[in-house]
Amino acid sequence: MFQSQSQGPGPGRLFEKYPALDGTFDEMFEAGAPRPPFARVARLLDAIAKEDLAKAQALAERALLQQGVTFSVYGDARGTEKIFPFCLLPRLIAHADWTRLERGLQQRLRALGMFLDDIYGEQKIVAAGIVPAEMLAGATAYHPMLRGLKPPGGVRIHISGIDLIRDPAGTWRVLEDNLRTPSGVSYVLENRQISKRMFPRVFDAARVHRVDHYPTRLAEALRSVSPTRRTGLGGNSGVINLAGPHEGETNAVVLTPGPFNSAYFEHSFLARTMGLELVQAPDLFVDQDTVFCRTTRGPRRVDVIYRRTDEAFLDPDVFRADSTLGVRGLMRAYAAGNVALANAPGNGVADDKAIYPFVPEMVKFYLGEEALLEQVKTFVCLRDDDRQYVLEHLGEMVVKAVDEAGGYGMLMGPQSTAEQRDEFRRRIIAEPRRYIAQHRVELSSCPTWIGERHRVEPRRVDLRPYILTSRSGSWVLPGGLTRVALVDGSYVVNSSQGGGSKDTWVMKDAAP
Amino acid sequence: MISRVADHCFWFGRYVERAEATARALSATMSLGLDGELPPAQVWRPILVVAGEEDEFRTRVAEDQDDHHAWGDAELVQRFMVWDQDNGVSLARSIGGARWNAQMIREVLSLEAWEAVNELHLWSTSPDTQALYAQQRDAFYHQVRRSTQLTLGLLRSTMLHDEPLDFVWLGVLLERVSQTARMLDVHHHAFANLTERNEIIETAVWLTLLRALSGSEAYMKRSAGRISSEAVARFLISERAFPRSIAYCVRSAYDRLAVIRPPDADALPGGVSLEQLRVLDTWVDARIKDPLVGASVHDLLTHVVDEVHAICGTLGKELLGAG
Repeated sequence: MFQSQSQGPGPGRLFEKYPALDGTFDEMFEAGAPRPPFARVARLLDAIAKEDLAKAQALAERALLQQGVTFSVYGDARGTEKIFPFCLLPRLIAHADWTRLERGLQQRLRALGMFLDDIYGEQKIVAAGIVPAEMLAGATAYHPMLRGLKPPGGVRIHISGIDLIRDPAGTWRVLEDNLRTPSGVSYVLENRQISKRMFPRVFDAARVHRVDHYPTRLAEALRSVSPTRRTGLGGNSGVINLAGPHEGETNAVVLTPGPFNSAYFEHSFLARTMGLELVQAPDLFVDQDTVFCRTTRGPRRVDVIYRRTDEAFLDPDVFRADSTLGVRGLMRAYAAGNVALANAPGNGVADDKAIYPFVPEMVKFYLGEEALLEQVKTFVCLRDDDRQYVLEHLGEMVVKAVDEAGGYGMLMGPQSTAEQRDEFRRRIIAEPRRYIAQHRVELSSCPTWIGERHRVEPRRVDLRPYILTSRSGSWVLPGGLTRVALVDGSYVVNSSQGGGSKDTWVMKDAAP
Repeated sequence: MISRVADHCFWFGRYVERAEATARALSATMSLGLDGELPPAQVWRPILVVAGEEDEFRTRVAEDQDDHHAWGDAELVQRFMVWDQDNGVSLARSIGGARWNAQMIREVLSLEAWEAVNELHLWSTSPDTQALYAQQRDAFYHQVRRSTQLTLGLLRSTMLHDEPLDFVWLGVLLERVSQTARMLDVHHHAFANLTERNEIIETAVWLTLLRALSGSEAYMKRSAGRISSEAVARFLISERAFPRSIAYCVRSAYDRLAVIRPPDADALPGGVSLEQLRVLDTWVDARIKDPLVGASVHDLLTHVVDEVHAICGTLGKELLGAG
């Protein structure tokens, strides 16, 4: 909608007086000038009048609401819906950076997958003394009953989201792995639609990798692990049967806990864009270790389930008996090799925050390579030395409970009160296995439109790229969810705590 | 398709159709009231009877009195029929129901159809719309009708014409049969009770009914401008070419279901519903020769409403996962 008016610098320009933060890596600017790979895009964005951006921002928010791109707010019985706050100014990633990240992520996923195979198999890595046995014993997400079970197609981490941050030197670091039911990819695709509508010229000039083939790739990855090899849509004949799903074809479905789940929009979005059925637990039943869904034409066999229900609720026979979101007998069918579950149950042991510090070692152990991606130095409170250090430096550290997510169960040392620190001290001593700690990383910042102040200010961001793994290996979606801490001075990017998102533009060319 | 999803499709169709029917009926009734030729209670009470909410209104609004002024209070009746959240068939509840079901089958609807119904929901709950309702009532009803019609049109023009749409349409058609039958019944009944015949008023009321069913123009084309109670009843019951007549809706509903569950597919569920619809269709067809006067019209319409109710119950058990 913007035709950039290319006047020289003057008052009212978008990035005028952009107040970059000290000691922080800014994604777009360096010493007052745009970073070289982004110079052209920055110039085009800069030419947008603030009034126009404010208008476009309001328009974008209304479009998201009208399209129902919303999440439900937990603990609100009326099912209040909100849009995930969105900043129109994109986050740019240079071609060279992305190439390195892509390789690093593929390597990491390979190692994590092998770790899971090993941990639910021979446990060589424990025998080799690399991951201590007590770390494993204390992992609530480790299910001994799954040991010896080989998932259909040999894949466990079909869909992952790896959270990355950038330190003040600009080095990318893994902050955490999400290998269970990572969410957010629907916003990546929706945000892109809006960027293209609002900034067609800038977008065109930037030469950005597309992201809208994600659903197709996801559907392929799901079908690739089907335990039943069939013809038609699921087969390898290359012929697409346009008559729709039929008996005799791979039947993959998306399983949602239902519309009260905060990510329901995404579940429905993915089912819609993949052309798969969105099912809820009562739609499924198990007969003779085979999963069926109840259809208007009677029972129909299900081969692959992309389940967005937490594993604790998947099967009341095996996990939580009080679950109403589960399917009785599902795990039996899985164990019999009659249905593929994506992601595989039991993955939580690999994204446990206390296992995270061992990932670089895993890469070496399984692949014989050095890890390409850096991580954040992590103190494992179970270790005496680490715990001692953490307790002495609580005021400088970020302490996290290993089994919580979404920014909960955390102590942000530098912003904490003495009481909060005492509380965590007590908890750490009581349950050291449950806690890890890291020094606070100065997350990188990105120019962000702040509506109330009618100007662009730096806000801290992270990045969650999505990786799909099929029988034939891992593929990284060239883009990802950039989450931004919209509150001034905040480091918490979670949507439940004042976070928003940005479109992430991965540039195609080495040179702009 | 998944039975639960089929159920949401069916109810989505019913709620959208019901919202449109309610808005049309209220708008037409308001126009009738403005002519000032009928006592207000005679104008507004039929709306409550058609909706099946007479008792509810009596207890909650009319203080248990049959001669209470509320029966003829245009504002009270409209508020009850538009905004009342405790009235299961209020416009607000129908729009909310349509949107809720749409949300459950978001991946089944086309993006365009979903957006249309989501926008209607957002619009209906916005403060601006409250102001519009207060200041320009007819524009309010008009907007509801436009939005629901847009939704139904988009379903046809942007969705795959297969099972999910068949279920939506089945819901629309069965809802429409009931709406037409009840509207006609209530109006017919009102005349049966009139002690003094007044041609002008009768004509006005029949026209209102036809307008409420979007049928006044179609009727005039068929009758060359003549209006009689029997002719209107025959048109609304038997006119095959009019998409809101009982004969048309029952036949179309049968056709939809016969696509979902073909008559010879004995192994598939749905056979009983299909047979019930077939019998009703044959029965309606045979009524074309019956004289449509007096109590016979009421009996005919009651039979239709009861049968449709029974068919919906069977559909629920056989196909929609209620069994």
